[in-house]
Amino acid sequence: MTKSASLVLDGLEVSLAPASATGPSAAGAHSGPPLLSGVSLSVDPGEFVALVGSSGSGKTLTAMSSLRLLPPQLGITGGSIRLGGLDLTRATEPELNAVRGGRLGMLFQQPKRMFNPNRTIGHHLKEPLRLHAGLRGRKARAKALELLDEVGFADPAKGVRAYPHQLSGGMAQRAMTALALAGQPDILLADEPTSALDKVLERQVLQLLDRERRERGLGVLYITHNIASVASYADRVLVMNAGSIVEAGPASELLTRPSTAYAQQLLAAARLAPESRRRPPSTEREVLILDGVGKRFGPRRRKTGHTALEDVSLTLKRGEILGVLGQSGSGKSTLARTIVGLDAASTGTITRQLGEAGTGEATAVQLVFQEPHGAFDPRMTLRTSLHAPLRKRPGLSPQQRDARIGAVMDEVELDGSLLDKRPGQCSGGQLQRATIARALLLEPQVLICDEATSALDALTQRTILGLLLRLQREHDLSLIVISHDMDVVRYMCDRVAVLLHGRVIEVAETGEFFAAPRHPHSQALVSAAIPCRTDGLWTVLDVAKPARAQSAVVPNVMAGRFPGPTPGRS
Amino acid sequence: MIPFIAKRTATLVAAVAVSSFAVFLIPYFTPGDPVRKIIRSRVAGDAVDNGSVQALGESLGLHDPLAVQYFRWLGDVLSGDMGLSYVSRTAVAGQVLPALTVTLSLVTMALGIAVAVSLPLGIIAGLRPGSAPDKTITAVTQALIAMPEYWVAPVLVLVFALKLSVLPSAGWTDLSSAVLPALTLALRPISYFTSAVRAGIIDAAAADHVPAARARGLSHAQSVLRHVIPNGLVPLSTLFAVWFAGLLGGSVIVEVIFAVPGMGRLLFDAVINSDIPVAQGGVVVVVALAVGVTTLADFVHRLLSPAVGGSLA
Repeated sequence: MTKSASLVLDGLEVSLAPASATGPSAAGAHSGPPLLSGVSLSVDPGEFVALVGSSGSGKTLTAMSSLRLLPPQLGITGGSIRLGGLDLTRATEPELNAVRGGRLGMLFQQPKRMFNPNRTIGHHLKEPLRLHAGLRGRKARAKALELLDEVGFADPAKGVRAYPHQLSGGMAQRAMTALALAGQPDILLADEPTSALDKVLERQVLQLLDRERRERGLGVLYITHNIASVASYADRVLVMNAGSIVEAGPASELLTRPSTAYAQQLLAAARLAPESRRRPPSTEREVLILDGVGKRFGPRRRKTGHTALEDVSLTLKRGEILGVLGQSGSGKSTLARTIVGLDAASTGTITRQLGEAGTGEATAVQLVFQEPHGAFDPRMTLRTSLHAPLRKRPGLSPQQRDARIGAVMDEVELDGSLLDKRPGQCSGGQLQRATIARALLLEPQVLICDEATSALDALTQRTILGLLLRLQREHDLSLIVISHDMDVVRYMCDRVAVLLHGRVIEVAETGEFFAAPRHPHSQALVSAAIPCRTDGLWTVLDVAKPARAQSAVVPNVMAGRFPGPTPGRS
Repeated sequence: MIPFIAKRTATLVAAVAVSSFAVFLIPYFTPGDPVRKIIRSRVAGDAVDNGSVQALGESLGLHDPLAVQYFRWLGDVLSGDMGLSYVSRTAVAGQVLPALTVTLSLVTMALGIAVAVSLPLGIIAGLRPGSAPDKTITAVTQALIAMPEYWVAPVLVLVFALKLSVLPSAGWTDLSSAVLPALTLALRPISYFTSAVRAGIIDAAAADHVPAARARGLSHAQSVLRHVIPNGLVPLSTLFAVWFAGLLGGSVIVEVIFAVPGMGRLLFDAVINSDIPVAQGGVVVVVALAVGVTTLADFVHRLLSPAVGGSLA
């Protein structure tokens, strides 16, 4: 291996270009404003640089430009990209192929979609090993096993044979990491590698990257919309907005004293301080009582079935916000579906005490879905989608329905003109508001938010959470907030319940819970979330450096095999 | 995979059982008394006396319960005894098997031609959708759908048999006699296969994992060869099976025009002559083969694309 090289972008400009335009020579023929302009950044070997900004700010575009893998309708119209001595904007295709996945690696968001579903993980790993390390056959297989072992596969031999759909989200991201490291990159472009993962898995992936940085001087460009995950790992932070870098500086300075308004906004959004004073639930009246609820999938008698929920007993008071925490696969979504009635409970009872009769029992509990784009029929306008639930209410004239829809659209602060658009024409934030509007149409008393904001960037997330809190106050709603995000739960909830393998292992007042979680799993969850800050202050920054340099091994709550530094706690 | 195979094999058996029962019932829904037909087919005269009808019905067990009759019939069929033809008075199995061999060769050739033609065409069209080659290929293959076999066949005969005299116009003797019927039969599958391959390639090329492969350093050509084309061809396996199964009994027109002694021809004649035993035997064999082929295609599809139907296992 030659000496490690830095990645340097200098005044990069990317625009919509005619299909023939490839490379800077074709500049000038483009139309419209550039999508990226004047992007300058550098990543040195052994450095961890964070690139943050809300969705659509051009972060991914920057990474794909660096690899020279832009869609055909886009072209680089100015500036340069250098990797060591090589000018990537002028490099030939064979030169670029040698760089891609070799000295310049890429780690993608949504790892599952980045694997060919018809090929095993081993098959994927062999490609960079053959192309960049010249390994074939048995040697390639040995190296593949080694890589999987390195990223934390308990059984690498099984991992090599696995197809992508057989891996959990966390394992898929680890396999993707192994794939990106297979070509021994100098610089790794990590494009939101953790945004689909829960906090515990997120930390594991970041620690893995950090270890590569320490041990073999990997330079990391960490792209994220979650500024909170940056604090403990990044040396430098770059803030991107609307295709330009608006602020850059050492992590400790930028995160404590952001100078631009945009960076301040991003930071404020990430810092979800606990709602200073929510008024306590209006009554002690319980609206929902779960008693020993269990849910099994699959054949009843045989062992092949899967127990998603077991003996869950919970209560929800009127006006209360209950948080349900747990890792992916702990049964959170099944719980939501069971309470709403989309799935029938296999055992136990769910009692609804909704008081003043008349408000259609079945519709009094509503669900706000996780993926706003998946929650609407793509071929229907929002108006058509919103009309559907109102057909449950006989005796409403079309005018009355329209009036009701208009009223809830106002409630969620959406413009009425949006009603005639289709989901594909709306942003994630707009759609999430629309899903909330749809849930409100039938005047529910209980609203269940299943990861309602986890697909959104930090700024949008904050406004949606604010909206939910306001609606809760105004309508005296009871909320169940299901999330793997500690910050969201801490910000919103009065009480917290923790799920592990379908069982409730702890229920506590929010303040108590975060101060002193009792169950070991709760402690692991809370500590995984905390290293970024405590109580909305970036105090932990003072210890961020020593924290990541330590190499103490933390017992892993998942597979128990993932070594990494202890998080800093002040 | 093992539970999947077990499950699919069970459905296969169930499908064949249900359809064989339907076939078994055919004589009950056709006009005329089968017993009289049998007697008429075995004696010279037209006059049938009621005594022999009664006696034959008795000896054939036609007064037994339906279920008993069905299982007796099924056992006979499974052991290769499908009865005697009303028309030729010979064993049905002796007519079905040669016809089946002929049709299998004909259909295999036709679909072989179809795959050989549509793979390259579909791939070329799918890799550059909207390009001039794509538009040409799509237009031509779409036009093929509009050409009925009874029109194409005479044209081919006119050109290759009568004008050029390079191929025989009809019959089933050697390979050259199979060319024109196979070609005629291949035209519509060519059209459907090409558009399926084209669509499959376009879908496969749009998948996120393709740029991800480029980011690992695969050249454009490598990513196409390793990830786009193999994935794009998976849907063809199912379509191939559907056509194979369909043509087993559905190549009637071609077989009649070219005087090919295949299944289509056999069934056609059996129906025209009310030769119920032949129709029954032929249909049962065709149905069993068709269900077998589609089940096999399911296995193949699952091997090629293991993520599909993961919940079934």
